[in-house]
Amino acid sequence: MWIWNKIKQLAISSRTGVVTLRYPFKPRPAPAGFRGQPVWDHTKCIGCAGCASNCPARTIFLRDICQEIRILLYDSSRCTYCGRCADLCPEKAITMSDNFELATDSRQDITQTIELFMMTCQRCGRCYDLEIKNYLDKLQSLGYRYDSLEVRKVIRQSTAEFETDLLEKTATYGRPEKLEK
Amino acid sequence: MSRKEELLNWLKEKLKGDLLAEDVSREKCLFIDIKKEALIETAQLLLSRGARYQVGVGYDARKSGQGLAMVHTFAFDSDALLVAIRAYTPEDKPEFDSLTPTLPGAGWSEREYIDLLGLHFNNHPNPKRLILSDDWPEGIYPLRQEVPYDLMPPAAEDVAFRLDEAPPGSSIIPFGPFHACLHEPAHFAVYVDGEEIKGCEYRGFMVHRGIEKLAATELTYSEIPFVAERICGICGSVHSVNYAQAVESAAELKISRRAEFIRTVMLEIERLHSHLLWLGVAGHLIGFDTVFMQAWRIREKIMWLAESLTGNRKTYGIVIIGGVRRDINREKAGQIKKILGEVEKDMLALEKAIVKDKAIHRRTRDVGYLSKEKAIEWSLVGPVARARGLAIDARKDHPYAAYDEVKFDVQVADSCDVWGTLVVRVKEVYEAISIINQCLEKLALIPENSPLAVELEGPIPAGRQGLSVVEAPRGEVVHYLLTGDDNRPERWRVRAPTYPNLQAVPDMLLNNRLADFPIIVGSIDPCFSCTDRVVVIDRKSASGKILSQQELENLSRKMRSKS
Ligand code: SF4
Ligand code: SF4
Repeated sequence: MWIWNKIKQLAISSRTGVVTLRYPFKPRPAPAGFRGQPVWDHTKCIGCAGCASNCPARTIFLRDICQEIRILLYDSSRCTYCGRCADLCPEKAITMSDNFELATDSRQDITQTIELFMMTCQRCGRCYDLEIKNYLDKLQSLGYRYDSLEVRKVIRQSTAEFETDLLEKTATYGRPEKLEK
Repeated sequence: MSRKEELLNWLKEKLKGDLLAEDVSREKCLFIDIKKEALIETAQLLLSRGARYQVGVGYDARKSGQGLAMVHTFAFDSDALLVAIRAYTPEDKPEFDSLTPTLPGAGWSEREYIDLLGLHFNNHPNPKRLILSDDWPEGIYPLRQEVPYDLMPPAAEDVAFRLDEAPPGSSIIPFGPFHACLHEPAHFAVYVDGEEIKGCEYRGFMVHRGIEKLAATELTYSEIPFVAERICGICGSVHSVNYAQAVESAAELKISRRAEFIRTVMLEIERLHSHLLWLGVAGHLIGFDTVFMQAWRIREKIMWLAESLTGNRKTYGIVIIGGVRRDINREKAGQIKKILGEVEKDMLALEKAIVKDKAIHRRTRDVGYLSKEKAIEWSLVGPVARARGLAIDARKDHPYAAYDEVKFDVQVADSCDVWGTLVVRVKEVYEAISIINQCLEKLALIPENSPLAVELEGPIPAGRQGLSVVEAPRGEVVHYLLTGDDNRPERWRVRAPTYPNLQAVPDMLLNNRLADFPIIVGSIDPCFSCTDRVVVIDRKSASGKILSQQELENLSRKMRSKS
């Protein structure tokens, strides 16, 4: 009997009541293990570019602005929150946070930049982090490409972010604490 | 002698010198190279032995000095065997004989490479533009190696898609490109006589994103799973699993059993969400919003479950080449079981409440009728085929991941209409729950610390082929892969289930009422994004060339789905 069906439907609907959450008035915390915005810990990063070379969205950029200073810039606007960077970082410098409320009208709000002091290898002339350990061999196994800056050509528009005046603002970048002493 | 060897010997005997090379090293797959003159004969031989046509793959093989290549893949469903036949043609004479007169299902596959590679198919009944936008310049073939992936020719202003005249006595009702009943852009020009649909013209392929070209030029092997997952917003992990399987097949990598079970669990969780989503949408399309609300309420639990298992509601990001990234431990298994129990209970209640509702029956019975014979002719796949009595299911026919160890039935219906599709999909919800529970039990027997992913030993050699199928919620997905240099595939081809199913829609629509258009199109659960995945095309972009009236007319007929 179809009328019986209608009664059952009514019963289901009234028994369930309202299930819509009161979000955003009541926060809904993300579950454990959620892949939200990645966050960089500049005290751990050795500037190996492993994350940049393996980011499927190509949204992490590295640039050596001079022999000793390497800038890492993460632009969240194209990030897919896959968590690949956090997986691959040899120093566990990246954590996938539970932050998912990232809507903004300024790209700068969701951009992270860190400045890294690098040493130069006497043998090959490449930069490496002297403080922690010689990672040169490890770099190779991660598929590190020295020209990873070139990779930025993948989506050309995004390179607009890397202007010289942006680089001039280095004063605001996070710096490794132990080197400041 | 295995079925594969027997088939190969038989083909050798029949084709003699036309069979150039074979590769039998991959389990469940047979790759053969043939002379291009023997393409049709080989296809006919395979069809005569009961093969089902899957897809054609064209690629640029000039780097290895062999001109342009065309691969056609076939499935032997009762023998768990996939066969790919490949032929080359020189660049200066890029011609093949068309398979379409023998095999209507090959029509789109061939037209795709007319557009993308500049191939020419002799005797193709309808060799019109399929993929490229109306104003894309002649002579630029996006899949050729010299064309950069981000090429954007300037737009042409006065080129537009022109529809055919309606058949006499009928008028045209346009649906799309943006229409409330279509969830993605596609254009249907429906010919109606009064209320009755007399035919339809389809123009789609409006959401190309160039993923295959991107994979062959910019991405690397291990990055592609995360991009593949974004081919589809509903059955994403189907694509990442299938891609990973194709690479693993090409690299002959055996992954751990634990990883296979985890992949199976995630695929079935995805099936649950997709079936419930479709049930809701179907209810909504026929104006039965109680079904919509309740199905989606039940589905939300699955989404939250996926979120806590993988870190995201939809893009699970759990698959990597060689295994998976996250484990399902005892605690999580318990959580899954608990939620599935609730879902099953809710689902049973919902089913009982709607199964006899007149509204559903009146709107779905005998709607979108397509006979079993037609379904075979169009090589339909998935619930749409199973609703027409075809018991094909890649999970059963070509077991992958851990499906060889779980027990389940292939759900079929024989009403050949939208109702049948609905029944199949609802039954598969319970089947999926049972599969997950079986997997969790088996998973508990595998030591928890066993590895989730295996490492590749050395780089993947170039020039190896891989072929893999996965049963997505909507039907069989085929991934073909050819390994290349530079740590990335030379060619990766994705065939989504909507690709064959959509070709049959005009037949399904015939003689139905206009009001049933949304639910008929909706019944195949069309995913235009998956189907259109091939090459970045901006509809506005193209040469400044002005097409003649005749050319315009040719263009406008291109999407008649008769080929
Ligand atoms: S989460 Fe993924 S997309 Fe985002 S920065 Fe990391 S690797 Fe790139
Ligand atoms: S992978 Fe880790 S250590 Fe290397 S550059 Fe990225 S954040 Fe720094």
